[in-house]
Amino acid sequence: MLQVRNGAGETLGVLFDRYQAPLLNFYCKLTGDRGLSEDLVQEVFLRILRHRQTYRAGTPFRAWIYQIARNARIDHFRKTRPQVPFEPEMAPTVNPADPAQRQQESELLHRALMQLPEEKRELLILCRFQELRYDEVARLVGCGVSTVKVRIHRALHELREAFHQLQAAPADSPRRGAPQNFPPRRLDHEV
Amino acid sequence: MKCEQIAELLPDYLQDSLRPEQNKIVEQHLAACADCTEVVALWKKLAILPDEQPSPASRERFDAMLHAWQSGRAETLATEKRPSLGSIFDWLRSPVGAVAWSLALLVIGAYIGTQLGSTKSSSRDLAAMHTELDGMRQLVALSMLQQESASQRLEGVSWTRREDRLDPQVLAALKHTLRYDPSVDVRLAALDALSRHAAQQPQVRSSVFDALQEQQSPLVQVALIDQLVEWRDPQAAQHLEKLRQSPNLNPTVRQRADWAISKLN
Repeated sequence: MLQVRNGAGETLGVLFDRYQAPLLNFYCKLTGDRGLSEDLVQEVFLRILRHRQTYRAGTPFRAWIYQIARNARIDHFRKTRPQVPFEPEMAPTVNPADPAQRQQESELLHRALMQLPEEKRELLILCRFQELRYDEVARLVGCGVSTVKVRIHRALHELREAFHQLQAAPADSPRRGAPQNFPPRRLDHEV
Repeated sequence: MKCEQIAELLPDYLQDSLRPEQNKIVEQHLAACADCTEVVALWKKLAILPDEQPSPASRERFDAMLHAWQSGRAETLATEKRPSLGSIFDWLRSPVGAVAWSLALLVIGAYIGTQLGSTKSSSRDLAAMHTELDGMRQLVALSMLQQESASQRLEGVSWTRREDRLDPQVLAALKHTLRYDPSVDVRLAALDALSRHAAQQPQVRSSVFDALQEQQSPLVQVALIDQLVEWRDPQAAQHLEKLRQSPNLNPTVRQRADWAISKLN
């Protein structure tokens, strides 16, 4: 990243190769919209070029890029409300080689995840899928480490409840209310 | 141990970051508690959510964006390599010079203040001092915006951010920087500084409209387009339409302009 900051833009290609898949998965799981997620990944790298001077040597790059990723999404939803509610066809594609039950469970789990409030869903995704430690997530969202842990614990309980309800409901029953996709607070010092 | 006590350890257990003895405590609890076991199982079950793979088009879009940025940067570097004219008064234009003569002005101001203001109230003295300091900040900003070095001009732009309301002279200098500064980074910083004052000073928006038609750097063009979308100005669409009709417009910028027009309509 230091090379990118000092003008070697071609080095950004290496970072793109390394981070585009994790970022795409972060956005897909968070928004349930693949097209939007691809746009947001591009936006993240455009912002890295535009704000590269704000990167400080010694700052963990992974935390910095997720900071940018969060802000890109918050700014996107601030500009384009109301958000499209989650629809089943937005659910991630499942490997067809998986057994039918696994596929069904995966879809239900994704729907349950989308029913969580935005902030809890984001925390869960950051800690479970993006392999960020609790202290890194705490700095990212601007709260204490213990708060992150408490929220993760609560989020898992809510997820379990939503998952049970979906499992109990008939397949064609109407879904519970649309997800609460209100973007979290943007920290003032962020790029 | 009760579930409430385990709840403090469970998140660390999930990330496999407990000490061995703590790990053992959690596992003993899990063996006896179906509720917590289910939460742990759900955490593990999340792994069945499939991973999305980026499409090849994603890399192509990125390459196009990077290419556009690199072309803009190459032009900028070519412009920046102008020979500078040496002068014995150059030091006055350096940051050290700027601070030195600004301090000199402050001392003169303070001296005049003590000579003339001895009969006036202290609040008036303070107000005068504030005005003096504001003037000094503006002088420093103006001086730094004229430096040869891009990093010093960047610093000049950041000085203007300390103002609640831009002095007409500083505003004019920032507008000039946005339009003509040879460095893309300085132009982007100037746009950021100007956008903070758009609500109080409507002339800022017209300067962004003007800059949009004149900019050659795709990166700055995209930043200007984003700014217009953020403002949702009723006139923005017509300016964007005009930009779209430019024959040599970079494809990434054209795509961004299309996106912006769709957002504004």
